[in-house]
Amino acid sequence: MYEWDFSPVLAEGGFLLVGFRNTLVLTATALSGGLVVGLLLAFARLSHRRWLKVPAGIVIEVFRTTPPLVQLFWFYFGLPIVLSIEMTPFLAASLTFMIQSGAFFAEIFRAGIVSIERGQWEAANAIGMTYNQCMRRVILPQAVKRMFPSMMERSIELMKTTTLVATVSYADLLFQANELAQKTFRPLEVFTVVALIYFVSISFISFIASRMERRFAKSGEFTP
Amino acid sequence: MNYIWNFQDVFDNWWALAIGAAGTLRLFVVCLVLGMGLGLIIALGKRSRNRPVRWLSTAFVEFFRNTPVLVQILWFYYALPIIAPIEIGPFLAAILGISLNSAAYSAEIYRGGIQSIEPGQWEAARAIGMSGLQTLRRVILPQAIRRIIPALTNRGVEIFKMTTLASVVAYVELLQQGKLIASLNYNPLEVYTVIAAIFLIILYPIVRLTYALERHLARSD
Repeated sequence: MYEWDFSPVLAEGGFLLVGFRNTLVLTATALSGGLVVGLLLAFARLSHRRWLKVPAGIVIEVFRTTPPLVQLFWFYFGLPIVLSIEMTPFLAASLTFMIQSGAFFAEIFRAGIVSIERGQWEAANAIGMTYNQCMRRVILPQAVKRMFPSMMERSIELMKTTTLVATVSYADLLFQANELAQKTFRPLEVFTVVALIYFVSISFISFIASRMERRFAKSGEFTP
Repeated sequence: MNYIWNFQDVFDNWWALAIGAAGTLRLFVVCLVLGMGLGLIIALGKRSRNRPVRWLSTAFVEFFRNTPVLVQILWFYYALPIIAPIEIGPFLAAILGISLNSAAYSAEIYRGGIQSIEPGQWEAARAIGMSGLQTLRRVILPQAIRRIIPALTNRGVEIFKMTTLASVVAYVELLQQGKLIASLNYNPLEVYTVIAAIFLIILYPIVRLTYALERHLARSD
């Protein structure tokens, strides 16, 4: 019978904490970048100009249909060769996850914008608003409310996807866990603790997200 | 910026990629069947009248949806063999991680599908003397599954993409073979471009099909 012993893991708690912090930093960077990329891609795809619409469509489809790990390897090992630059694991991971989550966000934004009735555009037009004014003041505030649940879901997916950076040795929580497991010879305890850390933090975020969703649903109008 | 692309070494190693593709396909088929099958059982477990069954199914779904799949694969690979008296190789670890993760996601899809069927159908089936299981099999599931086919197809695409994670425990699949070729020929740019293209060529038609199915179902409902 195996005797569980968590003391070596707990003694190195700080080591895992560094990993957890790095996971959060990477998630926050990729998320904020991803939202911007997503918004740009969504507008480009909705545009009537073909030179904007077609490339945006290609980026969105390519990043949605290829595996994230292949994308990460491409950015980490491949891109520096084309650009002849130095690549760090953090930069490669940020770029990959920004564009990848941006592609998913773009489709969420697009669906949200398209879901607003045409009449709203016409009404805004009738009172003399320009396209940009109407988008900013009328369409987006309503669309954001509808998009919120899928946006939160995608952000949580993003946090889980960041574990892939462990494969290019960025010291995220999973990478630190791997190191610690080898150092302490206690893989069972280390991986169990790390799985629990992910479980607790992701459950916490989903809980907050569902609370916010309910608040939005109740409030008649949401202004960002 | 004047790098000259050279795909020759990748194409010379087509045989290694073919072995990888076979490994990817094998893992995909096993995980697809197990993930979708187990997902249905868990979805039914969440609807069970038996409290422990309901509770366990919910805990399963929550746990596997709220942890990263890579952590699950590594847990099965490094941690499980310590408490379980069995050998766990890369193939089995990848199957466990990906199938159980997909089961949790597909369980939620099935549940949504079953819930979307009007309660009147259950009542009507009961009125003509069908048992609960009969109603589920003959009335509810055929309609529910039709509605969730796009969501399930999407899940299938996700499973196919997830198979690349098996390379982390050195299971021989496309990406693992790609790593090998890249390290022998120093051509990561070309290798990973080809691997990405292979996934795109296989998955893009399926993604288009899902869009078409969604539109078709939206029109017929």
